[in-house]
Amino acid sequence: MTNRRFSIRLAALAVFAIAQLFPVVLNPADAQQLTDKAKKVGGKFMCMCGCSQVLTECNHVGCTTSAGMLKDLNQRLDRGESEDSITQAFVQEFGTQVYAEPPKSGFSLVAWLMPSFYLLLGTVLVIFVISKWRKRVPVEALADGAASGISPELLARARAQAAKETED
Amino acid sequence: MDVFGSFALVLAFVCAVYAIVGGIAAIVTRHPLLVKSARHAGMATCCLIFTATFSLEYLFFTDNFSAAYVVSHSNRDLATFYKIAALWSGQEGSLLFWSFLLSIYVFSVLIAYRNKNGELMPYVGVVMAGVQTFFLVLNNFVASPFKMLAIANANGSLTYFTREDGQGLTPLLQYPEMVIHPPNLYSGYTGFTIPFAFALGALLARYPGEKWIHLTRKWTMIAWTFQTLGIMLGAHWAYAVLGWGGYWGWDPVENASLLPWLTGTAFLHSVMMQEKRGMMKVWNVWLVFCTFGLCILGTMLTRSGVVSSVHAFAQSSIGSYFVGFLAITFLVCFAAFLKNRDYLKSENQLDSVVSRESSFLFNNLILLVSCVAVLSGTLFPVFSEWFTGDRISVGAPFFNKVNIPIGLILLFLTGVGPLLAWRKTSTDSLKRNFGWPLLVSLVMGAVLFAFGVREFYSLICFILCIFVTSTIGMEFLRGSKVLHARTGSSFITCAIDLTMRNTRRYGGYIVHMGMVFVFIGLAGVAFNRDIQKEMQIGQSMQIGPYTLVLQSYDTKAEKNYTAQRLIVEVLRDNKPMMMLYPEKRKFATAEQPGTMVAIYSTLKEDLYVVYAGDSGDTQLPVVHAYLNPLVKWIWLGGVVVVFGTLVALLPNRRAVLVLAGSTEAATHPAQAGLPSTVTLREGHD
Repeated sequence: MTNRRFSIRLAALAVFAIAQLFPVVLNPADAQQLTDKAKKVGGKFMCMCGCSQVLTECNHVGCTTSAGMLKDLNQRLDRGESEDSITQAFVQEFGTQVYAEPPKSGFSLVAWLMPSFYLLLGTVLVIFVISKWRKRVPVEALADGAASGISPELLARARAQAAKETED
Repeated sequence: MDVFGSFALVLAFVCAVYAIVGGIAAIVTRHPLLVKSARHAGMATCCLIFTATFSLEYLFFTDNFSAAYVVSHSNRDLATFYKIAALWSGQEGSLLFWSFLLSIYVFSVLIAYRNKNGELMPYVGVVMAGVQTFFLVLNNFVASPFKMLAIANANGSLTYFTREDGQGLTPLLQYPEMVIHPPNLYSGYTGFTIPFAFALGALLARYPGEKWIHLTRKWTMIAWTFQTLGIMLGAHWAYAVLGWGGYWGWDPVENASLLPWLTGTAFLHSVMMQEKRGMMKVWNVWLVFCTFGLCILGTMLTRSGVVSSVHAFAQSSIGSYFVGFLAITFLVCFAAFLKNRDYLKSENQLDSVVSRESSFLFNNLILLVSCVAVLSGTLFPVFSEWFTGDRISVGAPFFNKVNIPIGLILLFLTGVGPLLAWRKTSTDSLKRNFGWPLLVSLVMGAVLFAFGVREFYSLICFILCIFVTSTIGMEFLRGSKVLHARTGSSFITCAIDLTMRNTRRYGGYIVHMGMVFVFIGLAGVAFNRDIQKEMQIGQSMQIGPYTLVLQSYDTKAEKNYTAQRLIVEVLRDNKPMMMLYPEKRKFATAEQPGTMVAIYSTLKEDLYVVYAGDSGDTQLPVVHAYLNPLVKWIWLGGVVVVFGTLVALLPNRRAVLVLAGSTEAATHPAQAGLPSTVTLREGHD
């Protein structure tokens, strides 16, 4: 198989793979039903049946808890209650376990800050390690250089050549 | 047989303790007979655990309803297939199964290295026996699977009795994937004991060089493959059985399986730094320690009831044993590290920030951040209860918000990392390696945007997937072109040849490609849609291009359950396509019904139809239909990841250099008359 034919086949394969994505995205407006307020608000609560699922996603057969909660939610929305007052009412009825995600206030803020803190701390650590490694003189280089009497210039040139040769 | 199994477990415990004591004595005295004796005790422990496990299975197969565990997890009508799975369906049996799988690994290691690495193996044997002993304590004294049914008499004596039938297996577990998912996941959890034992053993023994890394590489990859398979099968089971239209709900038990997978993945990458450059020795040792610790933590979370989960076993006091074991493990590891930390000094320097070394550091950073974020989110309800008295739950929206950006950074590094050179990457090399992939991905991103992909994370994900695919494709193309120029073989043959010459490198690329497929599937979530409707016979509902018509419904009686089945005809553009049969199953021995989702799956989308029950008011069947785009790519990605790992496990084929204008092949430069400076580049990249 020639180089060109192989490239054409690869390109065709890529086009086929990408084509699989198009039907998904041709109708994005149709794909979403996020305008439904009940769905949006309900997505902020957990189903309290113990299934560990978000209220609007819990549909396991025979779950009366989610049905009751969704009914209550719809009634409150029909009465024109705000998101905040619905949240308060649900927390009062079911406790803080009803939150699908921790509120961004008080102690719960810690949950939101922790990942960013880890990332920041990790990045600082990696930068520290990189700078430390860059300053370090390699053990084997010291030993080899000293033993063989190779000059630092020659060693640097050899290393540069090796780096060039081993580069992908 | 129950007494036999119980006795085997007690004997196994005695042998395991002897393997520790004898092993330590062998290390101190270096007496060859003691070394041999401790090793044999380790092997005997494994054989006795095998015996106990087969005894429990025998009780299931013979419907022995005098054993409490069999009564709780089986019944006479249960299919033979599921009687195997009943072994690990409860707390006691699953802990025995843990010991069983661990014993397979331990036995294999003891046999494989019986005449090798004499300095290291006694240490490894002691560590492995230590882990086995902990689980045997649980098997014997805390959660014995061999308890018999008995009534206490007034005089204090016991009268043993047998039940007519058992309570059956939980309906959710009566699904073929449930027979293979737990063994895979547990094989992953238990498998990480081997690299842990070698890492700790090498540290304690101050075993020279990177030998322990070479020795454990295949064991780590085997454990990682099982863990990947276990996670994938679990996700597929959740998708096909739970009926909520998704496959990953960030449940604490699901998260518990992901944690060691993340650190294990980090280890598989950073280990190359130690092999190639003698760097990150401390990091690698601690990564292995953490991976093992997270396996134990995951096992604890599933069993202790510390966090609530649908997948967890009943709440019990077993958690305190795990906490104790984790504390002892950490102390031993920390003490060994403090005592021998000079043994772990890195040897090399970093020549450039733009290098493979740096990319591995960032790859490890991102994987670790993801791991710690998932862990802290999983345990946050416990922390919040300690500090505030209120248990604040952390559900899927939190984990998605935190992990989607992290996942995308990781995907970006998947494309970038392998194309950076070791030591230093020049600007020319950067342009050469990244120019085309960057251009292709940006152009395709613009095309996707023009065609309506406006969901930010999905668009970024698709762009990155195209970028990574391009970089991997270019790597194969570049290597194949060189081989093609040398040999004249077809490009496909050259690509296979290239892979077989450096299985680790190109197997790794295949694994990365599998991960790209998984990310494509995950990106599709943004375009999910669903509809739910009460339906009379002959009524239809529309979802996307599909029209679903309820043709009829019936009831079928099977040996162990009765199924109510809907017969749904699927039409596309008003043309009949197929029939789907979503079911609701009622098991004779359980009140909880089960679902069987009907799925029509293509690479483009899944039509996912659930019989959600009958309406309370009208008694009409309720059909919940989902259109989930690109889900199949996730399962396909899983298969590709496993295939890539298997390729990476294969030994490299020896390179054959064919000289231009010559028909002779040489296996060594010297043979080919080449100058000694010319070497064939074969190695672990």
